[in-house]
Amino acid sequence: MKKRIIIAAIALAAGASALSAQSRKAVRLNEVMVENNSSIVDDYGVRTGWIELFNANFAPVEISSMFLSNDSTQPRMYPVPLGDVNTRIHKRQHVVFFTDGEPNKGTFHTNFVLTPGQDNWIGLYDADGSLIDEVLIPASVEADQTFARATDGDGDWAVRTGEEDAYITPSSANVIKDRNSRVEMFAEKDENGFGMTIMAMCVVFSALLTLCLCFYAIGAIGKRISRSNKIKSTGDDHKDREVRAATTHDSGEEIAAIVMALHEHFNAHDTESTILTINKVKRAYSPWSSKIYGLRELPGHNRH
Amino acid sequence: MSFGEFLLNNLRQFWELTGFANAEFGNFVMLAVGLFFIWLAIKKNFEPMLLVPIGFGILIGNVPFNTTAGLEIGIYEEGSVLNILYNGVSAGWYPPLIFLGIGAMTDFSALIANPKLMLIGAAAQFGIFGAYMVALLLGFSPDQAGAIAIIGGADGPTAIFLSSKLAPNLMGAIAVSAYSYMALVPVIQPPLMRLFTTKKERLIRMKPARAVSQNEKIIFPIVGMLLTCFVVPSGLPLLGMLFFGNLLRECGVTTRLAKTASNALTDIVTILLGLTVGASTQASQFLTPQTIFIFFLGFMAFIIASSSGVLFVKLFNLVLPKEKKINPLIGNAGVSAVPMSARISNNLGLEYDPSNYLLMHAMGPNVAGVIGSAVAAGVLLGFLV
Repeated sequence: MKKRIIIAAIALAAGASALSAQSRKAVRLNEVMVENNSSIVDDYGVRTGWIELFNANFAPVEISSMFLSNDSTQPRMYPVPLGDVNTRIHKRQHVVFFTDGEPNKGTFHTNFVLTPGQDNWIGLYDADGSLIDEVLIPASVEADQTFARATDGDGDWAVRTGEEDAYITPSSANVIKDRNSRVEMFAEKDENGFGMTIMAMCVVFSALLTLCLCFYAIGAIGKRISRSNKIKSTGDDHKDREVRAATTHDSGEEIAAIVMALHEHFNAHDTESTILTINKVKRAYSPWSSKIYGLRELPGHNRH
Repeated sequence: MSFGEFLLNNLRQFWELTGFANAEFGNFVMLAVGLFFIWLAIKKNFEPMLLVPIGFGILIGNVPFNTTAGLEIGIYEEGSVLNILYNGVSAGWYPPLIFLGIGAMTDFSALIANPKLMLIGAAAQFGIFGAYMVALLLGFSPDQAGAIAIIGGADGPTAIFLSSKLAPNLMGAIAVSAYSYMALVPVIQPPLMRLFTTKKERLIRMKPARAVSQNEKIIFPIVGMLLTCFVVPSGLPLLGMLFFGNLLRECGVTTRLAKTASNALTDIVTILLGLTVGASTQASQFLTPQTIFIFFLGFMAFIIASSSGVLFVKLFNLVLPKEKKINPLIGNAGVSAVPMSARISNNLGLEYDPSNYLLMHAMGPNVAGVIGSAVAAGVLLGFLV
């Protein structure tokens, strides 16, 4: 028993760690600024380059003990410190690291700097040193420009200048969604709802029709199996019996009558939990156990 | 400040915190609605399990209080007890728990024995999309229209689940409307059933369903969940729990779990769901012109759903052999409203032929309606989120 519990616990722990590792694999480098003259300031009021990470999961991810590096030969360059509640990134949210080379300023200050005017490689590693994501920032990215993904955690990298459709978006979504495009599409293309009705009714009908056909098939297989069992148990494989078995319909009344007869004959019942079983209980009579002698006679009423 | 002024000041402050000082006309309207629901439940026996908690919830939600005092008592004030209980509605985890209970208490035998009845459950979902089109005509946006239209599924938990995702601001009105019309099914459906059927059709006798083996009953929730959820993964929370509850019931080795899911758990969640849905109808949020439209659309949805179920059976009968014809009186049961609409089929059938029991036949489309409305909710969620 103990062995089983230990095996189950190990399996659970392995599953949990696999899940955790899997969720960390979905953290992405999302936007990078090499030289910062007019963008955001850190908590000391200083402007430096920054790296934005994005949690592409629909669940929170703990990024402590992961590594950031600007040198592929040193993957464990900057370990994200343990013990900071802010290293837990909420689902589909961002976090910014300042590349000021001053890790003593806090969790979100790396121990390396990005160098303007040259290519900068950045890598994100898991705790075991495996590479999760990497990007090469070209030297052509100028001051106050960023190199960012087209959409959060996905799409091609491109230079963003801060102009319209190329916003610089530290700690926020690379594409700002202020409306539900699907709803807008339905409002525009399907004004009266015919399209939705046709599509949705097709899906509902096909789902239930598939289920229906499936259960016709299962029912047919079940009938065939029970028929062959019946023939096997009676030892009679005569064709007439088979044909009769296939064509005979058991009505509810017949089934009830058979069940009652079996019940009477074997005094047995099936696996239903609600069956009422009545058994006669015989007890030998003894005046010592008789209730009647233990009762006091009620005071009689004089009815004269 | 004299002692007298001190007393007066405190009494004035206390008065400002009372319900009398903060009452508005809307509060009294909603209190009257709450009392009406309780009256319907107790005196008319209309879905008392739902209308008593909802009615009392409306009373709780509409006791006026000073919202600027930071008392943390209102259902929309973060951290209040009611707000914590309301999380099950707003985050949508009460409805799947109710579905677990429904699965654990539903016998799908009628459906397994006669799978073609599933199509009636599918046809009745036209009520949802009919109401969707009318809602668009009235100027609602597609996501709001979808949330309102799901009232036609006649399934409270599904309506709450979908509206919490598509139009959280309309959820209170949608939930109250859905439950109100479910309670009014005995009033809404019979006239429609009479209108669309002939006397000859109402007398159709259906063959008794074949006996279903336990293996089939066990296979049903597993295959049902996999098939429907592969088609509509967004229906997973509702359909997954529905079929899981049914597996607990049918597998024969988890009787205790099935009993808990179908009794204690369902009762607890029903109490919390009903009460918090009722309490969410604060007059300031609830008494808007939109609510009137929502009630109108809900009514339309019920009428379309019930009618399309009955009419589909008539259409279906055209292609069925004579001995396999379906009594169209079970068509109304394609809208969920379990088991009320199936009981109506049975009662109406008995009215025309005192020995024609339709209950078990009607349970087929009835539970297919539950599956169908969950699939429809998944489709709307998939298209509009």
